[in-house]
Amino acid sequence: MIQTLSDQNNTAHTPIPLKRRLQILLRASFGYTFWLFAGFAILMGIICHSLLGPEIFKEAVSNDIDNLLGILPRVVAALTLAGFIWILMPRDKFSKLVGRYKGFSGLVLAEIAGIITPGGPSAAFPFLAIIGKAGADKGIMITYITSWALLGIQRVLVWDLPFMGAEITATRFLVSLPLPIIAGLIAQQLPLKIKLAGESEQK
Amino acid sequence: MSPVMLIIYISPIILGAYAYSKGDESFKKGLIRGLEQLAIILPRMICALIGAEFLALLIPTEVISAYLGNDAGLVAILIGSLTGLMVPSGPVISFSIAATFANAGASMPAVIAFLTAWSIFSAHRILIYEIPLLGVSFLRVRALSVLILPVLSGLLAMLAINLIA
Repeated sequence: MIQTLSDQNNTAHTPIPLKRRLQILLRASFGYTFWLFAGFAILMGIICHSLLGPEIFKEAVSNDIDNLLGILPRVVAALTLAGFIWILMPRDKFSKLVGRYKGFSGLVLAEIAGIITPGGPSAAFPFLAIIGKAGADKGIMITYITSWALLGIQRVLVWDLPFMGAEITATRFLVSLPLPIIAGLIAQQLPLKIKLAGESEQK
Repeated sequence: MSPVMLIIYISPIILGAYAYSKGDESFKKGLIRGLEQLAIILPRMICALIGAEFLALLIPTEVISAYLGNDAGLVAILIGSLTGLMVPSGPVISFSIAATFANAGASMPAVIAFLTAWSIFSAHRILIYEIPLLGVSFLRVRALSVLILPVLSGLLAMLAINLIA
């Protein structure tokens, strides 16, 4: 997994020289999965250009740039927020809080938390890492992120309702209500351990 | 600007000010943590968004929607689920595709199965956020736990529609 500076800082208290820090950061930024992504983008671009023609290709590129410019400030803000929460969170108290909710009531709470989490993946995934780090059980982690992905109220209001209309949106929301808890219950039964990115302990 | 966006922009400023006021290393460490995650995510995000935009143009939406009709039942739900797995892009593209399906006469359970599959398996989200921030072992547990949800959502929708009708 990608080893980051703050994970290292947690284990080793010796200061890391700036040059070494930049090296670690660069390796994290441009690791092999980055090149997979770059290759994927270039390949799709070539296929698009040759199958659909240069006009549609140009339109797609300008859409991309608009999308990126729209998303970028949000991602920066959300990750800065997650960074501060990560550092400021009273980990002991939070761990006790998260650890207290086991079993079914924990899953219900995780589902509610997922529904009301505002923002896109740049907010939900860092938060998931934070509750995982605080010792949340794997069922709770799975229920939370599944609930956010399926039922997140912001996404339902911003995307489902305008694109799909009230009937499909309401039906989808209602039939999806039991699904995050089902996923959490399955996760609790799975005989697999989770090793979080940049962590050595298992649970 | 929407209230949610306002919260997203204001809360890091408030927390940052609080961290700064503590006078220890919290402010610096918080910023470093944010920068690191940004450095990991940003280059991948740019490539993934560009690639996904192209791929979405290549998915034969019109051809697929012919197989999602009401008479196709369970098969439509399965095809809807599989199509949802293949769309690796953000909400703009996937909801446009879902709306295209619905307008082309796809059954509601099939559209719901499509949206469920995309919501929980969208590849760009897995690659940009899930693997870097949580790791492959988390992804493995999650994938096994949610595997049946797209088809289940379609079946539940079918049941609900039949109950009402």
